[in-house]
Amino acid sequence: MKRRDFLKFIGAGGIGTGLGILFGQAIKPPGSKLIPYLIPPEDVIPGLANWYASLCTQCSAGCGVLVKVMDGRAKKVEGNPLHPVSNGKLCVRGQSGVQTLYNPDRITGPMKRKGARGSNSFEPISWDEAIREVSGKLKELSSKGEAEKLYLLSSSLGGHLGMLADDFMAGFGSSNSIKYDLFDNRNLRYANKSTMGLDAIPHYDIENTQYLLSFGADFASTWLSPVALSRGYGEMRQGGHSARGKFVQVEPRLSLTAANADDWVPAKPGTEAILALAIAREIVESGHYKGSDVSAWKSLLAPFGRTYAAGVTDVDKGKIRTIAKEFMNARPSLAIGGESISGYSNGVSGLVAINILNHVAGNLGIEGGVQPNSSDLFAGRRADRVGPGIDALIKAANGSGIGLLLHYNNNPAFTTPGSAHAVEAIKNVPYIASFSSFMDETTALADIILPSHTSFEDWGDDFTDPAPGFQVATLMQPVVSPVFKTRSLGDTIIGLGKGVGGAAAAKMPEGTYAEHLKDSWSGLYTRNKAMNASELTFERFWRDTLAKGGWWKESKPKMSKLKVSARSAARHISKEPAKFEGDNSQYPLYLIPYAQAGHLDGRGANVPWLQELPDPITSVVWGSWVEINPKTASRLGVKMGDMVEIESPYGKILSPVFVYEGIRPDTVAVPIGQGHKLYGRYAENRGANPLEVLPPTVDSRTGAYALNSTRVRIVKTGRPGDLVKMDVSTDELGRNIVQTVPPGGAPHKDTSHH
Amino acid sequence: MKNPIIIIVTLFIFVVALGVGFLISDQYLGRAPEQPINFSHKIHAGTNEIPCMYCHSYAERAKVSGVPNVQRCMGCHKIIKTDSPEIQKVAAYWERKEPIPWIKVHNLPDHVVFPHKRHIKAGRECQECHGPVETMDVVKRLAPLKMGWCLKCHGKYDVENGRECWTCHT
Repeated sequence: MKRRDFLKFIGAGGIGTGLGILFGQAIKPPGSKLIPYLIPPEDVIPGLANWYASLCTQCSAGCGVLVKVMDGRAKKVEGNPLHPVSNGKLCVRGQSGVQTLYNPDRITGPMKRKGARGSNSFEPISWDEAIREVSGKLKELSSKGEAEKLYLLSSSLGGHLGMLADDFMAGFGSSNSIKYDLFDNRNLRYANKSTMGLDAIPHYDIENTQYLLSFGADFASTWLSPVALSRGYGEMRQGGHSARGKFVQVEPRLSLTAANADDWVPAKPGTEAILALAIAREIVESGHYKGSDVSAWKSLLAPFGRTYAAGVTDVDKGKIRTIAKEFMNARPSLAIGGESISGYSNGVSGLVAINILNHVAGNLGIEGGVQPNSSDLFAGRRADRVGPGIDALIKAANGSGIGLLLHYNNNPAFTTPGSAHAVEAIKNVPYIASFSSFMDETTALADIILPSHTSFEDWGDDFTDPAPGFQVATLMQPVVSPVFKTRSLGDTIIGLGKGVGGAAAAKMPEGTYAEHLKDSWSGLYTRNKAMNASELTFERFWRDTLAKGGWWKESKPKMSKLKVSARSAARHISKEPAKFEGDNSQYPLYLIPYAQAGHLDGRGANVPWLQELPDPITSVVWGSWVEINPKTASRLGVKMGDMVEIESPYGKILSPVFVYEGIRPDTVAVPIGQGHKLYGRYAENRGANPLEVLPPTVDSRTGAYALNSTRVRIVKTGRPGDLVKMDVSTDELGRNIVQTVPPGGAPHKDTSHH
Repeated sequence: MKNPIIIIVTLFIFVVALGVGFLISDQYLGRAPEQPINFSHKIHAGTNEIPCMYCHSYAERAKVSGVPNVQRCMGCHKIIKTDSPEIQKVAAYWERKEPIPWIKVHNLPDHVVFPHKRHIKAGRECQECHGPVETMDVVKRLAPLKMGWCLKCHGKYDVENGRECWTCHT
């Protein structure tokens, strides 16, 4: 090696090392900064979680929740263990509340319509402009003397928010407040009110019953208060207070709840009421019923003989007798009626039949039976009566009876039958202001949107209905700062009330909705002896109640005398099965649209966690399906995953086939929830909405649309469907995974001692 | 300079040296980045003997020790040394309602967890890792913050499960 080369190497090494060091120093720090708080929020320690008690609003059950908040972000939702409804448990929809809060498709601020109505083209405006514009339109309506033409269309607004909205409407001079949700238990409230005189939904004490006879109540997924009822069910079956209770489910398709039952009775769709009355007749005839009006019941139930019922319902005579015997001999027993029985054209009749069944078996007002709930909502007002339904709103809109529509948090454009033409009707309304947080099919029709907070950003409360036999008031508190430029609906209403002036302004509270809520609770505290006995001052009571998540006093429910009179029941029952549209020869199959645990009435479809959650029965993700019995499928020549048309006299939808043993051969079932045209990136243009093919049949007593009201036919398309399911086979393929014990107990095989 | 072998070898040595220099820089040379405000730990923690955890208040309660919030700075500096240009910078941030964008001096990769709380509870002094900060006008990282360095200390104090992977890599 030459000396020159050696020096070159030394030079290269030296310069290289030097540059390396310089480079290393230059790229440090790797872009990281330490950004401190300007003013630290109270109780926040970086990296440590706080759990705040609040209220779940994913359905109307009113579960108390705990939200884990770390560094100002909501991370996880769990049931509040102190809360008597959720008892530390929570369903999938509640658990996914954080994806509602942080949903990328939320409406981020007030907007005004730019393009044609329904074209989903909006431009942002300021909150001041928005409030000014809507108050201006309200004033215009009022000055024309058409205050009564103001309609408020919303989901059931719980607690003091509902009262504030009522005050606003009353102050403005309108009585047209329409509460609507697809599963708002309108028929159940009506049936209980008209036969038992109950304003509030009673507590169905599954926990303490010995024999549960459910007519299509899918309480493991969606019915009434699924978390509380599922927990009660667990206690009934293996709680160990007493013998394991028996459970029989009557419904045309095997739901998640039916899959847990000892016995599944797939009665013919539309005849469940007749089955219930036939059971009631057996009980009365057996002499079990000892009431003084026994002769009235005997004559009322006379037409529902075992032979007649067996012929109509497709349930064996012997079976009817066995159920009747078990139902009256098991003490206490309990009959409940859910979506499938209340969803017929005569939904009220079915629920009345169930009340009759509970009455004659002696299950009313006892532990393990039906227990009344107080209808006094702490504040001296009474629980929601059944007001006018969505059908009334559609009628008014078509008759130009609505001058201005305020809309919040429900989606009738998606959750009413296509043939009811809700969209066309709502389009007739001259001016629509929506307070919804998401751009769904109904909100898109609005002229102006004043988006509300989601529940984790807002103040509120709820007086649980159905309560667990005693009064429960749950508080909702903001657990994170608002993510977007949204507002508390309470504050929006107060702002509009003040903007309108006059009587509406006079009825609005001073200050913010949060202050109003606290003031209202101060009033409750003063009036309610049980509340103010336990705490010395309101401030202490308020602080402790916020920390705990609400107020309740667990006590044995007061058992008042509940009864059903034969006279009140007689008006509602009939020997005729429910009506189905479509001629039997053209449309041979009954259609049962049903609520899924994750999507309920379709509101869960914009949450990716709920989309990717396999349906507990079919394991299908991210889409729709139609359940068809294997016999029917082979007759039609379709197999698992084939795309088919489901056609009724009112329209058709496309869906892939799911071949399912748990459904009657003369019935097909489609889950509700998919088939959104709008509602964010995860929901749009996915699957099909079975409500599109339903007739506009309502139960005339309540205005509730009947879900199970049409026959359909299945038409092959010859194309493969887009079915994605998580399991490969429902067969155990000879692996003996599911070991069964035949009726009559286990065979005595092994008697040797170890 | 015409021999291609010599050129290749020279380039090779250059590249290797570049890497060596970078490693030296990364591993052994402390770093003292310029901060948005010329804050002196020597004045605060040294001369005035303010306890570390008066400002880094989360250290005994959480994983991170926390940088003081701007309100905490202004708590004293509304009155103290308001004529200093550096304090006026702090006041300007406060006026603008803007947090001060401090530059990280001690940084750990995401795959390792260092809980300040446990080390403080175990009785370690801040200076054992951070060096004599109370003598520094500009904070300089002295410890390499590498795994071997961590384990040396865990060995020295005979930390329970101190050599388990999951103790730090959780």
